[in-house]
Amino acid sequence: MAHIQIENLSITYQSPQDGKPFVAVDSVNLTIDQGEFVTIVGSSGCGKSSMLMAIDGLIAKEGRVLVNGREVNAPGPERAMVFQEFALMPWRSVLQNVLFGLELQRWKGGDRIKRARHYVNLVGLSGFEDYYPHQLSGGMRQRVGIARALAVDPEILLMDEPFGALDAQTRDVMGDELLKIWDREKKTALFVTHSIDEAIFLGDRVVVMQKGPGRIKVVIKIDFPRPRAVELRDEPEFATYRRRIRDLLSTEVQELQRIKEDSHG
Amino acid sequence: MADSAPKAGRDVSSFSADSRWHKPVVGLISVGLFLAVWEMAPRLGWIDPFYTSAPARMYSVGLEVFQSGELMENIRVSLVEFCWGFALALLAGIPLGLLLGTNATARALLDPLVTALYCMPRLALLPVIIMWLGIGMESKVVVVLIGAVLPIIVNTMAGIREVDPNWARAAVSFGASRLDVFVKVLLPGSVPAVLTGVRLGLGRGILGVVIAEMYVSVAGVGHLIVTYGAAMRVDHLVFYSMLVSVFGFAAVTAVGKVEERLQSWRGD
Amino acid sequence: MVIFARFKSFWLGTLSFAVLLVLWESLVRLGWINPFLTSSPTDIAVHFVRQTQSGELSVNLGVSLLEFALGFGGAVVAGILMGILMGWYRLLEYTLEPFVWFLYSAPLIAFYPLFVIWLGLGAPTVIAITFLFSYAPILVNTASGVKTVDKELLRAAISFGARRSDLFFKVVLPASVPMVMAGLRLGVGRALLGVVVAELFGATAGLGYSINYYGALMQTTDMFVSLVVILVLGVGFTQGVAMLEHRFDSWRVGHEQ
Ligand SMILES: Nc1ncnc2c1ncn2[C@@H]1O[C@H](COP(=O)(O)OP(=O)(O)OP(=O)(O)O)[C@@H](O)[C@H]1O
Ligand SMILES: [Mg+2]
Repeated sequence: MAHIQIENLSITYQSPQDGKPFVAVDSVNLTIDQGEFVTIVGSSGCGKSSMLMAIDGLIAKEGRVLVNGREVNAPGPERAMVFQEFALMPWRSVLQNVLFGLELQRWKGGDRIKRARHYVNLVGLSGFEDYYPHQLSGGMRQRVGIARALAVDPEILLMDEPFGALDAQTRDVMGDELLKIWDREKKTALFVTHSIDEAIFLGDRVVVMQKGPGRIKVVIKIDFPRPRAVELRDEPEFATYRRRIRDLLSTEVQELQRIKEDSHG
Repeated sequence: MADSAPKAGRDVSSFSADSRWHKPVVGLISVGLFLAVWEMAPRLGWIDPFYTSAPARMYSVGLEVFQSGELMENIRVSLVEFCWGFALALLAGIPLGLLLGTNATARALLDPLVTALYCMPRLALLPVIIMWLGIGMESKVVVVLIGAVLPIIVNTMAGIREVDPNWARAAVSFGASRLDVFVKVLLPGSVPAVLTGVRLGLGRGILGVVIAEMYVSVAGVGHLIVTYGAAMRVDHLVFYSMLVSVFGFAAVTAVGKVEERLQSWRGD
Repeated sequence: MVIFARFKSFWLGTLSFAVLLVLWESLVRLGWINPFLTSSPTDIAVHFVRQTQSGELSVNLGVSLLEFALGFGGAVVAGILMGILMGWYRLLEYTLEPFVWFLYSAPLIAFYPLFVIWLGLGAPTVIAITFLFSYAPILVNTASGVKTVDKELLRAAISFGARRSDLFFKVVLPASVPMVMAGLRLGVGRALLGVVVAELFGATAGLGYSINYYGALMQTTDMFVSLVVILVLGVGFTQGVAMLEHRFDSWRVGHEQ
């Protein structure tokens, strides 16, 4: 059953310099099933963050986003976002930041603090509950953002490069951990990443986006059974997926290069 | 602040910049409205014009005192006092700030003294200064000086100390001498902070000359303000009060603009 | 921050104060400067005790502090409230901004005689001047704190279902605390200046009044007693607010350096 349905989604910004309209995302159509894990790759500036924010209802858009068949235009408790720039409240400690979403949603289901602690532990930050964001490393901050989103128990996780600030090892561990949570709590996930491997390893499908304006280029179905183990990355099929996506992304880079040279020459 | 759920996108974007003319136009309208109310309220009998005067009267008063020569003569007196005091403040304040910013020993010895004086309302010294220097021009010059010099010292010092040490290191690695570092890195690097000091000092200096003249003097705009105040001649009083205020406002704003310009050149 | 005394410089600073006092005293004792004009530290100490015992000092200090509390307290309340409104509602900001900057940078003391005509000579005028002196910096800083709240944070809060009141109380307000504190630090010095200057011009009690009174009588030592008290108040208030500022500010990145 379709959990998220994106119909003709376009996002237009006003350029800060001359106020002219700038199309960041152009007529995107995508249907995501209940419990599906969809990853998004695409070069920088192709509108991935914009798309996620539009789905969350944070920015103005054209077209429609339906969740469980109902059109959404504002944030709701069934969706939670992990922000690319963390967006932690600097005056709140780790624990208080994880509590933030629970407070805002007037969480009724039992002990908030216990729940927050649980997710702080889950992302591997036990012992850092009372630290403030400026006392944490980039990767730790991002994990606070993940815990904050998980804590409000959303049906849909919108994750904007949540592992972007992590080192390769932690990244793998966190990815593994995320898959477990996703599987256990039956979430639907939309996950933006710049790592092709990560996109393949995590995703049921990989959405490859292109730039200028941001569009979906192809959606690639990843036919690996779950649960997936790290060794999967050494399989020949994995390499095939990897090459295919890399080619898709690099042709785009070449095309852009050409366009640029043409317009200069 | 109604407690409704914010609509998509709008709430965040409403904090962003809007069109450029919006702000000055609204500002002009509101100042215009203020002047209109000030002018009309006494005419409509809402308030007693004796207490507030009115903008139109400012014009006739201005013309009168200009023609009698009173205006220019007293402005000259005040300006001369102010300029002397402020020039001395710049001459003393910037070098002293540079010294305190670059020399740790000097700073350790003088910083607490400077900070103490910086924190205290120095205009409280006014009666003492008058006692020492009399009611003439000298006391006004000194009041302007002590008002203006401390913000200049403190900000120059802070400016030198906040110059990125990496710049100095980079310069040294290219073979710069200590003098080079001072002239080519520290000095230009601290210009914005010095300007901040100048702006704050300017405000303090203008306040100083006005207060000193109002306290005791034989000429100057401040002198006119108390004289007309004591005589309850509100039109003249308001004229000179506005004159001084607008001058202070304009001078401080002008330096503020230069400061802003400089900051945007540097891109931070 | 220059304001925060570092430990080592504290002792060096104390030393330089001590040297200054000893020098002052010696020059007077040696007859090189005229104590009639400069008084001397020991004389000031003696008169300080005398004024304290007679109760004169506590009366003047009490009056000044009361006027300060009312004027500055009013400016804090009104400045923060108005600053929040101006930071939140842009039309209000644009409407009032010219007046606020005028209040900020004009030598408002020029309106003193007008206040005397409106409010009479004495405490009400002193309080009004104190208020006016310190209102603008508090307001301006509060407004800019509210206005410059990180949009990412607002966005995150909205994403987690913040209502408008949540945005205000859970994001905008805590985020602008450091700026409000900076405004208080700027305002407190100006408020003290307002009290003292307004008292110099016309009052029946207070530290400024005392300076003016003894100035007219050419009693230098008694003037200096009040000056010393004012110096201590100035340093104390500013340092107090700076410490408060530092405490509220500890979460701000890079503040420690
Ligand atoms: N508030 C804004 N105003 C104007 N243009 C914007 C705004 N936000 C984003 N853009 C533009 O929209 C385009 C897409 O931005 P977006 O942040 O969605 O890209 P992205 O795919 O997430 O990039 P990255 O991988 O670097 O995070 C960019 O060209 C960007 O300059
Ligand atoms: Mg992005």
